[in-house]
Amino acid sequence: MELLMPGLGLIFWMTVAFGCVLYILRKYAWKPILEVLNERENLLANSFKDAKRVEYEMSQLAAVKTEKLAEAEKAREEIIARANKDAEGIVEEAREKAREEARILSENAEEMAKKYKREAMQEIRDQLSALSIDLAEKILKEEFSDKQRNAVYVSKLLDEVALN
Amino acid sequence: MYHQDDVIMNIADKQKSAHYPFVTLILVLAAMTFAGVNDVLGADEPRVELPGDDTDLSLMVGEDIDDAELSAPAFDARKVIVDHVLDTYDWHLFDIGDHHFSIPLPVILLYQGQFHVFSSGRLTTGDGIYRGFRIATEGPRKGRVVRVGDDGITPDLQASTIYDFSITKNVASIFIASVMICLLFVSIGRRYHKGGVYTTPKGLPAFFEPLIVFVRDQIAILAIGPEYRRFMPYLLSVFFFIFFNNLLGLVPVFPGGANVTGNISVTFVLAMFTFFTTHWFANREYWKHMFNMPGVPVFLKLPVPILPVIEVVGALIKPFVLMIRLFANITAGHMVILSLTSLIFVLGSMSLVLGYAISPLSIIFLIFLNFLKILVAFLQAYIFTLFSAFFFGMAVPKASH
Repeated sequence: MELLMPGLGLIFWMTVAFGCVLYILRKYAWKPILEVLNERENLLANSFKDAKRVEYEMSQLAAVKTEKLAEAEKAREEIIARANKDAEGIVEEAREKAREEARILSENAEEMAKKYKREAMQEIRDQLSALSIDLAEKILKEEFSDKQRNAVYVSKLLDEVALN
Repeated sequence: MYHQDDVIMNIADKQKSAHYPFVTLILVLAAMTFAGVNDVLGADEPRVELPGDDTDLSLMVGEDIDDAELSAPAFDARKVIVDHVLDTYDWHLFDIGDHHFSIPLPVILLYQGQFHVFSSGRLTTGDGIYRGFRIATEGPRKGRVVRVGDDGITPDLQASTIYDFSITKNVASIFIASVMICLLFVSIGRRYHKGGVYTTPKGLPAFFEPLIVFVRDQIAILAIGPEYRRFMPYLLSVFFFIFFNNLLGLVPVFPGGANVTGNISVTFVLAMFTFFTTHWFANREYWKHMFNMPGVPVFLKLPVPILPVIEVVGALIKPFVLMIRLFANITAGHMVILSLTSLIFVLGSMSLVLGYAISPLSIIFLIFLNFLKILVAFLQAYIFTLFSAFFFGMAVPKASH
């Protein structure tokens, strides 16, 4: 029966001791420990959240990057295509121009040639006429007697020259 | 603290180094018990005294045999066991021959409005009577200080009440355990305070942090719910207080060995703390449920308040059950260990051969039981804390109910 009899002194001292333990531990042990545990868990949770967010953002960025890259690629191709086209156009134009110029040049040259030829013909004609007069004079001087024959001859000569 | 760490390490390292301490323990216990058995048979050779629960058992056996001249029951196991689980005025350490070595503790008595403070040595040595007080050897106040009657020997039954505030063995043990717990956890707390959020648990914090988290997650949050925070200091304190005192009770030498958590006064105070904490934090709804239960017929409340009475009785039974459970479990554990030890001496007093024969078996069971008691030390601390948390959870019911 002694086992079940509570003792006044023990109850008193136990209350005092446990009360003190409770007070001291509450203030100097559990408060800092629980605070740190709580903060650490929050930190961890937030870190995970941040990591997840960053990961998501990174994936978003990657998507944007590929998109931009594709766009740039397309733009580049377009630019190149346009440049090629432009270059072709320029070349064609230049060719066209050159052709035109060549044509003009050749036309000019032809004209010039014709002009020179005409002038030359004129000169030849002039000289021929002078020469023929000269010749005629000489012939006239020499063969004044054989007038008929001379005339035929002269005409024949003239024809030959004209044919040339 | 050293012993406790050892015990704790035993749990932690049980897998790793199970064999070596196990064998050593068997040998030590065997040596102790055989020394005791020899004593029973009156061998006068010098006895090697080893500190432990059972060393003074052997002495008692010897005395009993001397007194009873080998006729009556030589070994009163019941007396030995009950004496060992009870509180005492001095802290018995060991005996060498007929000399008791014990630490005298202060006896503080309030008698007729006057304090009497003296050493317990005055009551345990000589005729055991000092200033008219003595420790009763029988009667309803057996083992407690009583007033001596006119004849100077027998207790005075008509004397006015003695208020006994003595620092008994259990009180001293509580003080030691309290100081140890405070030093330990305040140092851990300081480390956390210094380290802040980035404290990495190393050493002691690494061992205790999982337990603290266990109390929080598996006890407080589980049983109380979202309002667990304000109960955490109490739950943690009560958990570690019981756990430490349970473990200290398993250590057979000073400063362990006191049956603190197996004492009804101690468990009564702990249960009262739970009771008052419950009702201090109880909200309106709890009181309403107690005195004016909603949703039940009026005749259960008026004119005879059947339901309120049942509720009040229930509220009182809860801490009572806490008190009995812890007390009974720890005391029963101590008793089983003492019984198994006593078995050797009971049989040994009948026949030397029997004593020798039973001791290895007894020792194996004792080792098993000691490991079991380490588990029980944790389990009872857990159960007390869990049930306290459940009562708090009832006092602050969740909104949806």
